[in-house]
Amino acid sequence: MNLWIREMKAHRKSLILWCIGIVAMVGASMSKYAGLSMSGSGASMNELMADMPKSLQAVMGVGTFDLSKASGYYGAIFIYLLLMATIHAVMLGANILSKEERDKTAEFLLVRPISRSQMLTFKLLAALTQLVIFNLVMLGSSILLVNPYSHGESVNQDIMLLMVGMFLLQLLFLGIGLAIAGVSRYPKRAVSISTAILLFTFILSIAIDISGNIDWMKYLTPFKYFDAKHVMYSGGLDGRFIGLTALILVGSLILTYVGYNKRDLHV
Amino acid sequence: MHVIEVNNLTKTYGSARGITNLSFQVEQGEIFGFIGPNGAGKSTTIRTLLGLIYPTSGNAKIFGKDCIQYGPEIKKEIGYLPSEVFYYDNMKVKDLLQYSASFYKKDCRKRIAELAGIMDLDLNKKIDDLSLGNKKKVGIVQGLLHEPKLIILDEPTSGLDPLMQQRFFDLLEAENKRGATILFSSHILSEVQRLCDRVAIIKEGKLIQLEKISTLQENNYKRFKLETKAPVSPDYFQLNGVNELKVEGTTVSFLYRGNVNAMMSKIAAIDLANILVEEPDLEEIFMHYYEKED
Repeated sequence: MNLWIREMKAHRKSLILWCIGIVAMVGASMSKYAGLSMSGSGASMNELMADMPKSLQAVMGVGTFDLSKASGYYGAIFIYLLLMATIHAVMLGANILSKEERDKTAEFLLVRPISRSQMLTFKLLAALTQLVIFNLVMLGSSILLVNPYSHGESVNQDIMLLMVGMFLLQLLFLGIGLAIAGVSRYPKRAVSISTAILLFTFILSIAIDISGNIDWMKYLTPFKYFDAKHVMYSGGLDGRFIGLTALILVGSLILTYVGYNKRDLHV
Repeated sequence: MHVIEVNNLTKTYGSARGITNLSFQVEQGEIFGFIGPNGAGKSTTIRTLLGLIYPTSGNAKIFGKDCIQYGPEIKKEIGYLPSEVFYYDNMKVKDLLQYSASFYKKDCRKRIAELAGIMDLDLNKKIDDLSLGNKKKVGIVQGLLHEPKLIILDEPTSGLDPLMQQRFFDLLEAENKRGATILFSSHILSEVQRLCDRVAIIKEGKLIQLEKISTLQENNYKRFKLETKAPVSPDYFQLNGVNELKVEGTTVSFLYRGNVNAMMSKIAAIDLANILVEEPDLEEIFMHYYEKED
Protein backbone atom coordinates (compact mmCIF):
# COMPACT_ATOMS: atom_id res chain seq x y z
CA MET A 1 0.00 0.00 0.00
CA ASN A 2 2.85 2.37 0.87
CA LEU A 3 4.31 1.61 -2.54
CA TRP A 4 1.03 2.46 -4.26
CA ILE A 5 0.89 5.80 -2.47
CA ARG A 6 4.53 6.50 -3.35
CA GLU A 7 3.88 5.76 -7.02
CA MET A 8 0.78 7.93 -7.10
CA LYS A 9 2.72 10.79 -5.58
CA ALA A 10 5.64 10.29 -7.92
CA HIS A 11 3.37 10.41 -10.97
CA ARG A 12 1.02 13.07 -9.71
CA LYS A 13 2.58 15.96 -11.57
CA SER A 14 2.87 14.12 -14.85
CA LEU A 15 -0.69 12.84 -14.63
CA ILE A 16 -1.99 16.36 -13.99
CA LEU A 17 -0.10 17.62 -17.04
CA TRP A 18 -1.53 14.84 -19.15
CA CYS A 19 -5.04 15.67 -17.97
CA ILE A 20 -4.56 19.32 -18.86
CA GLY A 21 -3.33 18.10 -22.25
CA ILE A 22 -6.48 16.04 -22.73
CA VAL A 23 -8.81 18.92 -21.96
CA ALA A 24 -6.78 21.25 -24.18
CA MET A 25 -6.76 18.75 -27.03
CA VAL A 26 -10.47 17.99 -26.92
CA GLY A 27 -11.26 21.66 -26.31
CA ALA A 28 -9.13 22.91 -29.19
CA SER A 29 -10.53 20.31 -31.57
CA MET A 30 -14.10 21.08 -30.73
CA SER A 31 -13.58 24.83 -31.02
CA LYS A 32 -12.26 24.20 -34.55
CA TYR A 33 -15.46 22.31 -35.16
CA ALA A 34 -17.43 25.26 -33.83
CA GLY A 35 -15.73 27.45 -36.42
CA LEU A 36 -16.58 25.00 -39.16
CA SER A 37 -20.25 24.57 -38.30
CA MET A 38 -20.85 28.25 -37.60
CA SER A 39 -19.81 29.24 -41.07
CA GLY A 40 -22.05 26.52 -42.36
CA SER A 41 -19.13 25.06 -44.15
CA GLY A 42 -19.49 21.62 -42.54
CA ALA A 43 -21.11 20.24 -45.66
CA SER A 44 -18.59 21.87 -47.96
CA MET A 45 -15.86 20.48 -45.73
CA ASN A 46 -17.26 17.03 -46.44
CA GLU A 47 -17.12 17.70 -50.16
CA LEU A 48 -13.60 19.01 -49.92
CA MET A 49 -12.52 15.90 -48.04
CA ALA A 50 -14.30 13.63 -50.49
CA ASP A 51 -12.37 15.26 -53.36
CA MET A 52 -9.04 14.54 -51.72
CA PRO A 53 -7.16 11.40 -52.68
CA LYS A 54 -7.91 8.46 -50.45
CA SER A 55 -4.39 8.31 -49.11
CA LEU A 56 -4.57 11.89 -47.93
CA GLN A 57 -7.90 11.18 -46.28
CA ALA A 58 -6.30 8.24 -44.51
CA VAL A 59 -3.40 10.32 -43.29
CA MET A 60 -5.74 12.96 -41.98
CA GLY A 61 -7.79 10.25 -40.32
CA VAL A 62 -11.09 11.24 -41.84
CA GLY A 63 -12.38 8.82 -44.46
CA THR A 64 -15.95 7.92 -43.83
CA PHE A 65 -16.91 10.38 -41.15
CA ASP A 66 -19.60 12.96 -41.70
CA LEU A 67 -17.72 16.08 -40.66
CA SER A 68 -20.82 18.21 -40.59
CA LYS A 69 -21.96 16.34 -37.50
CA ALA A 70 -20.31 16.74 -34.08
CA SER A 71 -20.20 12.95 -33.68
CA GLY A 72 -18.53 12.47 -37.05
CA TYR A 73 -16.03 15.15 -36.30
CA TYR A 74 -15.28 13.62 -32.92
CA GLY A 75 -14.87 10.21 -34.56
CA ALA A 76 -12.34 11.70 -36.97
CA ILE A 77 -10.22 13.25 -34.23
CA PHE A 78 -10.57 10.23 -31.96
CA ILE A 79 -7.50 8.55 -33.43
CA TYR A 80 -5.38 11.40 -32.05
CA LEU A 81 -6.95 11.10 -28.61
CA LEU A 82 -6.24 7.39 -28.82
CA LEU A 83 -2.65 8.09 -29.74
CA MET A 84 -2.33 10.32 -26.69
CA ALA A 85 -3.84 7.73 -24.39
CA THR A 86 -1.66 4.91 -25.66
CA ILE A 87 1.53 6.96 -25.52
CA HIS A 88 0.69 7.78 -21.92
CA ALA A 89 -0.02 4.12 -21.15
CA VAL A 90 3.04 2.62 -22.81
CA MET A 91 5.38 5.20 -21.29
CA LEU A 92 3.82 4.76 -17.89
CA GLY A 93 4.22 1.00 -18.08
CA ALA A 94 7.84 1.12 -19.16
CA ASN A 95 8.72 3.96 -16.83
CA ILE A 96 7.10 2.83 -13.62
CA LEU A 97 9.28 -0.27 -13.65
CA SER A 98 12.49 0.82 -15.33
CA LYS A 99 12.88 4.05 -13.35
CA GLU A 100 13.92 2.12 -10.25
CA GLU A 101 16.91 0.81 -12.11
CA ARG A 102 17.52 4.00 -14.06
CA ASP A 103 17.57 6.10 -10.88
CA LYS A 104 19.39 3.37 -8.95
CA THR A 105 16.59 3.12 -6.45
CA ALA A 106 15.99 -0.58 -7.10
CA GLU A 107 18.69 -1.26 -4.56
CA PHE A 108 16.84 0.83 -2.02
CA LEU A 109 13.45 -0.69 -2.72
CA LEU A 110 14.25 -4.36 -3.09
CA VAL A 111 16.29 -4.73 0.07
CA ARG A 112 13.03 -4.11 1.89
CA PRO A 113 11.04 -7.12 2.99
CA ILE A 114 8.94 -7.34 -0.17
CA SER A 115 9.20 -9.78 -3.04
CA ARG A 116 9.63 -8.60 -6.60
CA SER A 117 6.13 -9.88 -7.40
CA GLN A 118 4.62 -7.84 -4.59
CA MET A 119 6.46 -4.81 -5.87
CA LEU A 120 5.18 -5.45 -9.40
CA THR A 121 1.62 -5.86 -8.17
CA PHE A 122 1.61 -2.53 -6.34
CA LYS A 123 3.16 -0.78 -9.29
CA LEU A 124 0.59 -2.37 -11.58
CA LEU A 125 -2.21 -1.18 -9.32
CA ALA A 126 -0.80 2.35 -9.27
CA ALA A 127 -0.54 2.34 -13.08
CA LEU A 128 -4.11 1.02 -13.41
CA THR A 129 -5.40 3.76 -11.16
CA GLN A 130 -3.73 6.32 -13.37
CA LEU A 131 -5.16 4.78 -16.53
CA VAL A 132 -8.64 4.96 -15.02
CA ILE A 133 -8.15 8.61 -14.04
CA PHE A 134 -6.82 9.39 -17.53
CA ASN A 135 -9.77 7.66 -19.15
CA LEU A 136 -12.34 9.33 -16.91
CA VAL A 137 -10.89 12.76 -17.62
CA MET A 138 -11.01 11.96 -21.32
CA LEU A 139 -14.61 10.76 -21.03
CA GLY A 140 -15.69 13.73 -18.95
CA SER A 141 -14.05 16.37 -21.12
CA SER A 142 -15.36 14.70 -24.30
CA ILE A 143 -18.94 14.61 -23.06
CA LEU A 144 -18.78 18.16 -21.74
CA LEU A 145 -17.10 19.60 -24.82
CA VAL A 146 -18.85 17.68 -27.61
CA ASN A 147 -22.42 18.01 -26.39
CA PRO A 148 -22.65 21.81 -26.79
CA TYR A 149 -22.12 21.35 -30.55
CA SER A 150 -24.25 18.30 -31.06
CA HIS A 151 -27.49 20.15 -31.91
CA GLY A 152 -29.58 17.54 -30.17
CA GLU A 153 -27.79 14.61 -31.77
CA SER A 154 -27.12 11.95 -29.15
CA VAL A 155 -23.36 11.53 -28.86
CA ASN A 156 -22.86 10.23 -25.35
CA GLN A 157 -23.34 6.59 -26.18
CA ASP A 158 -20.78 6.71 -28.99
CA ILE A 159 -18.32 8.51 -26.76
CA MET A 160 -18.74 6.00 -23.97
CA LEU A 161 -18.25 3.09 -26.33
CA LEU A 162 -15.14 4.69 -27.81
CA MET A 163 -13.81 5.23 -24.29
CA VAL A 164 -14.24 1.55 -23.46
CA GLY A 165 -12.19 0.78 -26.57
CA MET A 166 -9.64 3.35 -25.52
CA PHE A 167 -9.37 1.84 -22.06
CA LEU A 168 -8.77 -1.61 -23.53
CA LEU A 169 -5.94 -0.23 -25.64
CA GLN A 170 -4.55 1.66 -22.65
CA LEU A 171 -4.42 -1.64 -20.77
CA LEU A 172 -2.81 -3.37 -23.71
CA PHE A 173 -0.07 -0.79 -24.11
CA LEU A 174 0.50 -0.58 -20.37
CA GLY A 175 1.10 -4.33 -20.50
CA ILE A 176 3.52 -3.97 -23.41
CA GLY A 177 5.45 -1.21 -21.62
CA LEU A 178 5.65 -3.25 -18.41
CA ALA A 179 6.75 -6.37 -20.25
CA ILE A 180 9.54 -4.55 -22.06
CA ALA A 181 10.81 -2.98 -18.84
CA GLY A 182 10.37 -6.27 -17.00
CA VAL A 183 12.25 -8.44 -19.45
CA SER A 184 14.74 -6.01 -20.96
CA ARG A 185 18.39 -6.39 -20.09
CA TYR A 186 18.72 -2.68 -20.65
CA PRO A 187 16.01 -1.04 -18.57
CA LYS A 188 17.25 2.40 -19.53
CA ARG A 189 16.05 1.76 -23.05
CA ALA A 190 12.66 0.36 -22.07
CA VAL A 191 10.82 3.64 -22.58
CA SER A 192 12.29 4.31 -26.01
CA ILE A 193 11.77 0.73 -27.19
CA SER A 194 8.14 0.72 -26.14
CA THR A 195 7.38 4.10 -27.69
CA ALA A 196 9.05 2.89 -30.89
CA ILE A 197 6.75 -0.13 -30.95
CA LEU A 198 3.78 2.12 -30.38
CA LEU A 199 4.70 4.50 -33.20
CA PHE A 200 5.39 1.59 -35.51
CA THR A 201 1.94 0.11 -34.93
CA PHE A 202 0.37 3.53 -35.32
CA ILE A 203 2.06 4.08 -38.68
CA LEU A 204 1.08 0.58 -39.69
CA SER A 205 -2.57 1.40 -38.99
CA ILE A 206 -2.34 4.41 -41.29
CA ALA A 207 -0.58 2.34 -43.92
CA ILE A 208 -3.46 -0.13 -43.81
CA ASP A 209 -5.91 2.72 -44.44
CA ILE A 210 -3.86 4.05 -47.34
CA SER A 211 -3.14 0.77 -49.03
CA GLY A 212 -6.52 -0.93 -48.72
CA ASN A 213 -4.85 -4.21 -49.73
CA ILE A 214 -3.24 -5.22 -46.46
CA ASP A 215 -6.37 -5.40 -44.40
CA TRP A 216 -5.27 -8.68 -42.78
CA MET A 217 -2.51 -6.76 -41.03
CA LYS A 218 -5.06 -5.11 -38.81
CA TYR A 219 -4.42 -7.89 -36.31
CA LEU A 220 -0.89 -6.58 -35.92
CA THR A 221 -1.78 -3.08 -34.90
CA PRO A 222 -3.94 -2.41 -31.86
CA PHE A 223 -4.95 0.93 -33.38
CA LYS A 224 -7.18 -1.04 -35.75
CA TYR A 225 -8.79 -3.12 -33.01
CA PHE A 226 -11.40 -0.57 -31.99
CA ASP A 227 -11.41 1.73 -35.00
CA ALA A 228 -13.80 4.64 -34.43
CA LYS A 229 -15.55 3.97 -37.79
CA HIS A 230 -16.40 0.43 -36.80
CA VAL A 231 -17.29 1.25 -33.25
CA MET A 232 -19.62 4.08 -34.28
CA TYR A 233 -21.10 2.81 -37.52
CA SER A 234 -20.90 -0.95 -37.57
CA GLY A 235 -21.79 -2.55 -34.34
CA GLY A 236 -19.56 -1.37 -31.54
CA LEU A 237 -16.59 -3.21 -30.12
CA ASP A 238 -15.60 -6.34 -31.98
CA GLY A 239 -15.56 -9.40 -29.72
CA ARG A 240 -12.62 -10.95 -31.57
CA PHE A 241 -10.48 -7.94 -30.85
CA ILE A 242 -11.56 -7.77 -27.22
CA GLY A 243 -10.36 -11.36 -26.97
CA LEU A 244 -7.12 -10.58 -28.75
CA THR A 245 -6.50 -7.59 -26.47
CA ALA A 246 -7.12 -9.71 -23.39
CA LEU A 247 -4.73 -12.33 -24.74
CA ILE A 248 -1.93 -9.84 -25.40
CA LEU A 249 -2.49 -8.23 -22.02
CA VAL A 250 -2.36 -11.49 -20.10
CA GLY A 251 0.67 -12.56 -22.16
CA SER A 252 2.56 -9.36 -21.38
CA LEU A 253 1.73 -9.56 -17.69
CA ILE A 254 3.00 -13.13 -17.51
CA LEU A 255 6.13 -12.02 -19.34
CA THR A 256 6.55 -9.12 -16.91
CA TYR A 257 6.23 -11.20 -13.74
CA VAL A 258 8.31 -14.13 -14.97
CA GLY A 259 10.96 -11.97 -16.64
CA TYR A 260 11.34 -9.54 -13.76
CA ASN A 261 11.57 -12.30 -11.19
CA LYS A 262 14.17 -14.19 -13.15
CA ARG A 263 16.62 -11.56 -14.18
CA ASP A 264 19.40 -9.74 -12.35
CA LEU A 265 18.65 -6.18 -11.47
CA HIS A 266 20.85 -3.47 -12.89
CA VAL A 267 22.29 -1.84 -9.84
CA MET B 1 24.65 -20.21 14.49
CA HIS B 2 26.07 -18.80 11.28
CA VAL B 3 24.29 -15.59 10.44
CA ILE B 4 25.65 -15.69 6.90
CA GLU B 5 26.74 -18.87 5.24
CA VAL B 6 28.11 -18.65 1.72
CA ASN B 7 28.64 -21.97 -0.04
CA ASN B 8 30.62 -22.18 -3.28
CA LEU B 9 28.93 -19.06 -4.51
CA THR B 10 29.70 -18.31 -8.14
CA LYS B 11 28.39 -15.44 -10.19
CA THR B 12 29.56 -14.75 -13.71
CA TYR B 13 28.47 -11.89 -15.91
CA GLY B 14 29.20 -13.08 -19.37
CA SER B 15 32.93 -13.37 -18.97
CA ALA B 16 34.30 -10.37 -17.10
CA ARG B 17 33.52 -9.61 -13.49
CA GLY B 18 32.06 -11.88 -10.88
CA ILE B 19 32.93 -14.22 -8.06
CA THR B 20 34.16 -17.78 -8.16
CA ASN B 21 33.47 -20.52 -5.63
CA LEU B 22 33.28 -18.20 -2.70
CA SER B 23 32.69 -19.81 0.70
CA PHE B 24 32.75 -18.24 4.13
CA GLN B 25 30.67 -17.92 7.28
CA VAL B 26 29.85 -14.97 9.42
CA GLU B 27 29.12 -15.82 13.04
CA GLN B 28 26.43 -14.40 15.26
CA GLY B 29 27.48 -11.13 16.87
CA GLU B 30 30.74 -10.53 15.04
CA ILE B 31 31.92 -7.66 12.90
CA PHE B 32 33.17 -9.25 9.75
CA GLY B 33 35.39 -7.37 7.36
CA PHE B 34 35.21 -7.98 3.67
CA ILE B 35 38.28 -6.60 2.03
CA GLY B 36 39.45 -6.34 -1.52
CA PRO B 37 40.47 -3.87 -4.18
CA ASN B 38 37.86 -2.27 -6.42
CA GLY B 39 36.24 -4.79 -8.73
CA ALA B 40 37.19 -7.76 -6.58
CA GLY B 41 33.59 -8.90 -6.26
CA LYS B 42 32.61 -7.47 -2.88
CA SER B 43 29.50 -5.72 -4.13
CA THR B 44 28.60 -8.69 -6.30
CA THR B 45 28.66 -10.93 -3.24
CA ILE B 46 26.58 -8.52 -1.21
CA ARG B 47 24.03 -8.04 -3.97
CA THR B 48 23.68 -11.78 -4.30
CA LEU B 49 23.12 -12.08 -0.56
CA LEU B 50 20.38 -9.48 -0.88
CA GLY B 51 18.74 -11.21 -3.84
CA LEU B 52 19.25 -8.29 -6.21
CA ILE B 53 21.14 -10.62 -8.52
CA TYR B 54 21.03 -14.38 -8.68
CA PRO B 55 23.96 -16.78 -8.24
CA THR B 56 25.17 -18.73 -11.26
CA SER B 57 25.86 -21.64 -8.93
CA GLY B 58 26.24 -22.29 -5.23
CA ASN B 59 24.06 -20.69 -2.61
CA ALA B 60 24.03 -18.45 0.40
CA LYS B 61 22.04 -18.66 3.60
CA ILE B 62 21.17 -15.87 5.96
CA PHE B 63 19.82 -16.78 9.41
CA GLY B 64 19.96 -20.37 8.14
CA LYS B 65 17.54 -19.69 5.26
CA ASP B 66 18.28 -19.55 1.56
CA CYS B 67 18.75 -15.91 0.67
CA ILE B 68 16.83 -16.10 -2.62
CA GLN B 69 13.95 -18.36 -1.64
CA TYR B 70 13.23 -16.66 1.68
CA GLY B 71 14.37 -13.20 0.56
CA PRO B 72 11.42 -11.11 1.73
CA GLU B 73 11.33 -12.85 5.10
CA ILE B 74 15.01 -12.50 5.97
CA LYS B 75 15.16 -8.93 4.73
CA LYS B 76 12.95 -7.90 7.65
CA GLU B 77 16.04 -8.25 9.80
CA ILE B 78 18.64 -6.87 7.41
CA GLY B 79 19.80 -3.29 7.24
CA TYR B 80 21.75 -2.36 4.12
CA LEU B 81 23.84 0.63 3.22
CA PRO B 82 24.81 0.63 -0.46
CA SER B 83 28.13 1.98 -1.65
CA GLU B 84 26.58 4.61 -3.85
CA VAL B 85 23.61 6.29 -2.32
CA PHE B 86 20.85 7.18 -4.78
CA TYR B 87 17.42 7.96 -3.51
CA TYR B 88 14.22 9.36 -4.90
CA ASP B 89 15.31 12.90 -5.50
CA ASN B 90 12.06 14.65 -5.15
CA MET B 91 11.56 13.63 -1.55
CA LYS B 92 12.44 15.21 1.74
CA VAL B 93 14.75 13.26 4.02
CA LYS B 94 11.88 12.81 6.46
CA ASP B 95 9.57 11.41 3.77
CA LEU B 96 12.17 9.02 2.50
CA LEU B 97 12.89 7.68 5.96
CA GLN B 98 9.20 7.26 6.67
CA TYR B 99 8.76 5.50 3.34
CA SER B 100 11.65 3.26 4.23
CA ALA B 101 10.21 2.57 7.68
CA SER B 102 6.77 1.81 6.24
CA PHE B 103 8.05 -1.51 4.91
CA TYR B 104 8.77 -2.79 8.41
CA LYS B 105 5.96 -3.60 10.70
CA LYS B 106 7.19 -1.56 13.61
CA ASP B 107 7.18 2.02 14.77
CA CYS B 108 10.54 3.49 13.83
CA ARG B 109 9.91 7.17 14.48
CA LYS B 110 11.81 7.32 17.73
CA ARG B 111 14.79 5.52 16.26
CA ILE B 112 14.83 7.81 13.21
CA ALA B 113 14.96 10.87 15.45
CA GLU B 114 17.72 9.32 17.54
CA LEU B 115 19.84 8.32 14.57
CA ALA B 116 19.37 11.66 12.84
CA GLY B 117 20.49 13.33 16.07
CA ILE B 118 23.63 11.24 16.30
CA MET B 119 24.51 11.72 12.65
CA ASP B 120 23.59 15.40 12.70
CA LEU B 121 21.16 15.05 9.80
CA ASP B 122 18.55 17.68 8.92
CA LEU B 123 15.30 15.81 8.30
CA ASN B 124 13.55 18.67 6.58
CA LYS B 125 15.89 19.09 3.64
CA LYS B 126 15.23 17.78 0.18
CA ILE B 127 17.44 14.86 -0.73
CA ASP B 128 18.24 16.57 -3.98
CA ASP B 129 19.93 19.41 -2.11
CA LEU B 130 22.15 17.22 0.04
CA SER B 131 25.90 16.85 -0.34
CA LEU B 132 27.42 13.42 -0.87
CA GLY B 133 28.30 13.10 2.81
CA ASN B 134 24.80 14.04 3.90
CA LYS B 135 23.28 11.59 1.44
CA LYS B 136 25.48 8.97 3.02
CA LYS B 137 24.03 9.89 6.39
CA VAL B 138 20.54 9.35 4.99
CA GLY B 139 21.80 5.96 3.87
CA ILE B 140 23.06 5.16 7.34
CA VAL B 141 19.80 6.14 9.01
CA GLN B 142 17.63 4.21 6.54
CA GLY B 143 19.82 1.16 7.04
CA LEU B 144 19.60 1.18 10.82
CA LEU B 145 16.16 2.57 11.56
CA HIS B 146 14.44 -0.79 11.95
CA GLU B 147 17.06 -2.13 14.37
CA PRO B 148 18.16 -4.97 12.12
CA LYS B 149 19.89 -8.12 13.37
CA LEU B 150 22.25 -8.11 10.41
CA ILE B 151 23.80 -4.94 9.07
CA ILE B 152 25.44 -5.06 5.65
CA LEU B 153 27.64 -2.13 4.72
CA ASP B 154 29.16 -1.71 1.30
CA GLU B 155 32.02 0.80 1.49
CA PRO B 156 30.12 2.85 4.02
CA THR B 157 32.54 5.61 4.88
CA SER B 158 33.20 7.33 1.57
CA GLY B 159 32.12 10.94 1.75
CA LEU B 160 31.92 11.12 5.54
CA ASP B 161 34.22 13.54 7.30
CA PRO B 162 36.45 12.10 10.07
CA LEU B 163 34.18 13.31 12.86
CA MET B 164 31.12 11.68 11.29
CA GLN B 165 33.10 8.57 10.52
CA GLN B 166 33.97 8.36 14.20
CA ARG B 167 30.32 8.74 15.24
CA PHE B 168 29.30 6.20 12.66
CA PHE B 169 31.81 3.68 13.98
CA ASP B 170 30.65 4.31 17.55
CA LEU B 171 27.12 3.73 16.33
CA LEU B 172 28.11 0.45 14.71
CA GLU B 173 29.89 -0.66 17.86
CA ALA B 174 26.77 0.13 19.87
CA GLU B 175 24.62 -1.84 17.40
CA ASN B 176 27.08 -4.69 17.67
CA LYS B 177 26.86 -4.66 21.48
CA ARG B 178 23.09 -4.76 21.16
CA GLY B 179 23.61 -8.05 19.33
CA ALA B 180 23.70 -7.08 15.67
CA THR B 181 26.03 -8.92 13.33
CA ILE B 182 27.83 -6.68 10.86
CA LEU B 183 29.27 -7.40 7.44
CA PHE B 184 31.55 -4.54 6.54
CA SER B 185 32.96 -4.33 3.05
CA SER B 186 35.77 -1.94 2.33
CA HIS B 187 39.00 -1.32 0.55
CA ILE B 188 40.19 1.00 3.29
CA LEU B 189 42.11 -1.19 5.66
CA SER B 190 42.55 1.05 8.65
CA GLU B 191 38.80 1.11 9.28
CA VAL B 192 38.61 -2.64 9.09
CA GLN B 193 41.57 -2.94 11.41
CA ARG B 194 39.74 -0.80 13.94
CA LEU B 195 36.32 -2.40 13.85
CA CYS B 196 36.40 -5.96 12.67
CA ASP B 197 36.93 -9.23 14.47
CA ARG B 198 37.64 -11.30 11.41
CA VAL B 199 38.38 -10.41 7.85
CA ALA B 200 38.00 -12.11 4.49
CA ILE B 201 40.33 -10.96 1.76
CA ILE B 202 38.93 -11.26 -1.71
CA LYS B 203 40.66 -10.68 -5.00
CA GLU B 204 39.39 -11.18 -8.53
CA GLY B 205 36.32 -12.94 -7.20
CA LYS B 206 38.21 -15.47 -5.10
CA LEU B 207 38.70 -15.75 -1.39
CA ILE B 208 42.41 -15.43 -0.67
CA GLN B 209 42.52 -15.40 3.08
CA LEU B 210 40.15 -15.55 6.02
CA GLU B 211 41.76 -14.57 9.28
CA LYS B 212 41.25 -12.95 12.63
CA ILE B 213 42.49 -9.38 12.57
CA SER B 214 44.58 -10.15 15.63
CA THR B 215 46.25 -13.10 13.88
CA LEU B 216 47.02 -10.97 10.86
CA GLN B 217 48.82 -8.48 13.02
CA GLU B 218 50.47 -11.12 15.19
CA ASN B 219 51.95 -12.66 12.13
CA ASN B 220 54.63 -10.22 12.85
CA TYR B 221 55.78 -9.12 9.48
CA LYS B 222 58.59 -6.61 9.56
CA ARG B 223 59.56 -4.41 6.72
CA PHE B 224 63.33 -4.23 6.23
CA LYS B 225 65.02 -1.54 4.20
CA LEU B 226 68.77 -1.75 3.85
CA GLU B 227 71.42 0.24 2.12
CA THR B 228 74.61 -1.67 1.64
CA LYS B 229 78.03 -0.38 0.78
CA ALA B 230 78.60 -2.95 -1.91
CA PRO B 231 75.93 -4.47 -4.15
CA VAL B 232 74.53 -7.75 -2.85
CA SER B 233 73.21 -10.71 -4.79
CA PRO B 234 69.41 -11.10 -4.54
CA ASP B 235 69.98 -14.74 -3.63
CA TYR B 236 71.59 -13.69 -0.38
CA PHE B 237 68.20 -12.88 1.18
CA GLN B 238 66.28 -15.74 -0.39
CA LEU B 239 65.28 -17.56 2.74
CA ASN B 240 62.08 -18.73 4.38
CA GLY B 241 59.80 -15.91 5.50
CA VAL B 242 61.08 -13.32 3.07
CA ASN B 243 58.56 -11.74 0.76
CA GLU B 244 58.49 -8.95 -1.78
CA LEU B 245 62.23 -8.92 -2.04
CA LYS B 246 63.48 -6.00 -4.07
CA VAL B 247 67.17 -5.48 -4.76
CA GLU B 248 68.22 -2.43 -6.73
CA GLY B 249 71.97 -1.98 -6.65
CA THR B 250 72.78 -1.19 -3.06
CA THR B 251 69.20 -0.82 -1.80
CA VAL B 252 67.36 -3.88 -0.55
CA SER B 253 63.84 -4.04 0.80
CA PHE B 254 61.64 -6.95 1.83
CA LEU B 255 58.97 -8.14 4.23
CA TYR B 256 60.11 -10.72 6.75
CA ARG B 257 58.21 -13.08 9.00
CA GLY B 258 60.12 -15.50 11.20
CA ASN B 259 62.94 -15.60 13.68
CA VAL B 260 64.42 -12.14 13.94
CA ASN B 261 67.77 -13.42 15.21
CA ALA B 262 68.35 -15.44 12.09
CA MET B 263 67.74 -12.40 9.96
CA MET B 264 69.86 -10.13 12.13
CA SER B 265 72.90 -12.38 11.94
CA LYS B 266 72.45 -12.57 8.20
CA ILE B 267 72.41 -8.79 8.01
CA ALA B 268 75.32 -8.43 10.42
CA ALA B 269 77.46 -10.30 7.95
CA ILE B 270 77.25 -7.56 5.34
CA ASP B 271 78.60 -4.06 5.32
CA LEU B 272 75.72 -1.67 5.85
CA ALA B 273 75.34 2.02 5.09
CA ASN B 274 71.89 2.30 6.64
CA ILE B 275 69.06 0.14 7.98
CA LEU B 276 65.40 0.68 8.68
CA VAL B 277 63.15 -1.93 10.29
CA GLU B 278 59.47 -1.08 10.66
CA GLU B 279 56.11 -2.59 11.49
CA PRO B 280 54.13 -2.87 8.28
CA ASP B 281 50.53 -1.67 8.47
CA LEU B 282 47.72 -3.94 7.38
CA GLU B 283 47.76 -2.24 4.05
CA GLU B 284 51.15 -3.68 3.28
CA ILE B 285 50.14 -7.11 4.45
CA PHE B 286 47.13 -6.96 2.18
CA MET B 287 49.08 -5.61 -0.74
CA HIS B 288 51.21 -8.64 -0.27
CA TYR B 289 48.14 -10.86 -0.60
CA TYR B 290 46.85 -8.92 -3.56
CA GLU B 291 50.08 -9.19 -5.44
CA LYS B 292 51.00 -12.74 -4.53
CA GLU B 293 48.64 -14.21 -7.06
CA ASP B 294 49.73 -12.14 -9.99
